[in-house]
Amino acid sequence: VSEPPRASPGQGAEDGQTYEAAAARVEEIIRRLDSGEASLQETLALVSEGKGLIELCAQQLTEVGDALEELRLDELVSRLEHEAGA
Amino acid sequence: MATPATPVRAADEGIPDSGLAGPFAVGEYAAALRSKLRSFARVQLVGELVNLRPSRARVYFELRDATGAVACAAWREDWEAIAARAGEAPAEGMQVVVAGGCDYYPGSSTSSPAFSFAVRDLRVAGEGDLLARIERLRKRLDAEGLLEQQKLLARPLLPRAIGVITGEGGKARDDILAGLRRRGWSGRLVWGFAPVQDRHAAPAIVRALGDLAAAAQVEVLIVARGGGSLADLLCFCDETLCRTVALLGVPVIASVGHHTDRTLLDDVAAVSCSTPTHAAEAAVGVDCARARVEMAAAAARLAGHGRRALQPRAQIAEAAGRVREHGRRAVLSRARLLATLSRAPAAQLDRQRSRLHQQLREIRAGSRRRIADERLLGGRRALVLERKGTSSLHDCRERRPRELAQLSLALAAHDPQRTLERGYALVQALDGKSLASAAAAGQARDLRIRFADGVLPARVTDR
Repeated sequence: VSEPPRASPGQGAEDGQTYEAAAARVEEIIRRLDSGEASLQETLALVSEGKGLIELCAQQLTEVGDALEELRLDELVSRLEHEAGA
Repeated sequence: MATPATPVRAADEGIPDSGLAGPFAVGEYAAALRSKLRSFARVQLVGELVNLRPSRARVYFELRDATGAVACAAWREDWEAIAARAGEAPAEGMQVVVAGGCDYYPGSSTSSPAFSFAVRDLRVAGEGDLLARIERLRKRLDAEGLLEQQKLLARPLLPRAIGVITGEGGKARDDILAGLRRRGWSGRLVWGFAPVQDRHAAPAIVRALGDLAAAAQVEVLIVARGGGSLADLLCFCDETLCRTVALLGVPVIASVGHHTDRTLLDDVAAVSCSTPTHAAEAAVGVDCARARVEMAAAAARLAGHGRRALQPRAQIAEAAGRVREHGRRAVLSRARLLATLSRAPAAQLDRQRSRLHQQLREIRAGSRRRIADERLLGGRRALVLERKGTSSLHDCRERRPRELAQLSLALAAHDPQRTLERGYALVQALDGKSLASAAAAGQARDLRIRFADGVLPARVTDR
């Protein structure tokens, strides 16, 4: 029996959206807006959605851009156990 | 084996109660050992060529089969002659036949001894049993679908935690860090150090894989080794290791072989890379620095679209603002007007009251003047009346009767009766109208003639 795949690699716990999905949706939104075919209401909705997704992407980029954190496996296990105990 | 000629000094006496000869100086024993080994019959051996290690003067390798192995060495010039004759240099995994005999390098105070089978000639006999076994295992894993399991997993473009299994002191560690730096990635890196060579490697790697995959934060795994011979990489063809990787729920990126030697781990992994640097770049699928720039550009484009979309609304809002301003001004104006109007009645009343008071004062003053005037006039009239009264009384008493008498006399003088009495007659028509001419009398024909004492009818008969 194979180990079940993780729910979604790179998935943000609070938003449920992966970076790749968010980035792809942003590109799709910009293509739609650039086409000039979106109505005013749709444009405003797409801009609002796009801003949210960009914030999400920026947040995830920030999380992997501050400082490299190197851990040994046993250190990670100890930390997780400590967090679980706390 | 013959014993060395000279025993050691008495100070280096042997172990008491030991029945063995010696002790002998090790250098002498090593030299004797080499002589003995070299005395062995020269033979041909067949086996699989592994762990090929060319050096400047000699080429070292091992010859293995399922039951044993022998270390081999060939002089460089002999090896090149063999390669020239075969058309290609013997390679890892080949089944070969070697010709030669035992040899022994006795070493020295600064170098290690080594046994080797001195190869003088070599013939390639086939692909090699080891590679054949690996190939059979590869087909079996493929038939079970295990070569595809990892490739079906979704790999995050931007993992926040990466697990790496590699040798603690190996160069692969630095290469992975360099690859991650090139991606601009600075997330959490969890090292699962394990031996990546020898028979202990595969079980240790399996344990590390399981532990790292169990850490929920690790989103992708890298198994890396900085290259090596096929013999060095045999641990990555371990069946248990390959099955473990195939069934993991976390994508594994393999970087243990190179272009010529492909291990089974390369086949079962989600991605196979030729170097640890490439493995790191494969683990982070996005150039973080460039992605930040692209996201900023996308945000600017979105903001531009938003501004353009809202421009008509802004214009409408501006127009509405102007309308509101106009309205406000109109309301203000009306309010001022109403305030003015609301104040107007009071002012008007004040003005009217003042005017009325003034009029009243004027009327009163006028009245007083009028009364005074009237009183004065009345006095004067009274005086006049009094005077007139006095005069009238005089008239009534004296002048009027006289005047009446005179008038009566005058009137009597004009009385027609008195004329008639003097003999005159008045000719009248029947209707009483006086006829003052003969023509009128003749025309009337029937007449009345009035005398002082009576009236007689008359008719004109002849004119």
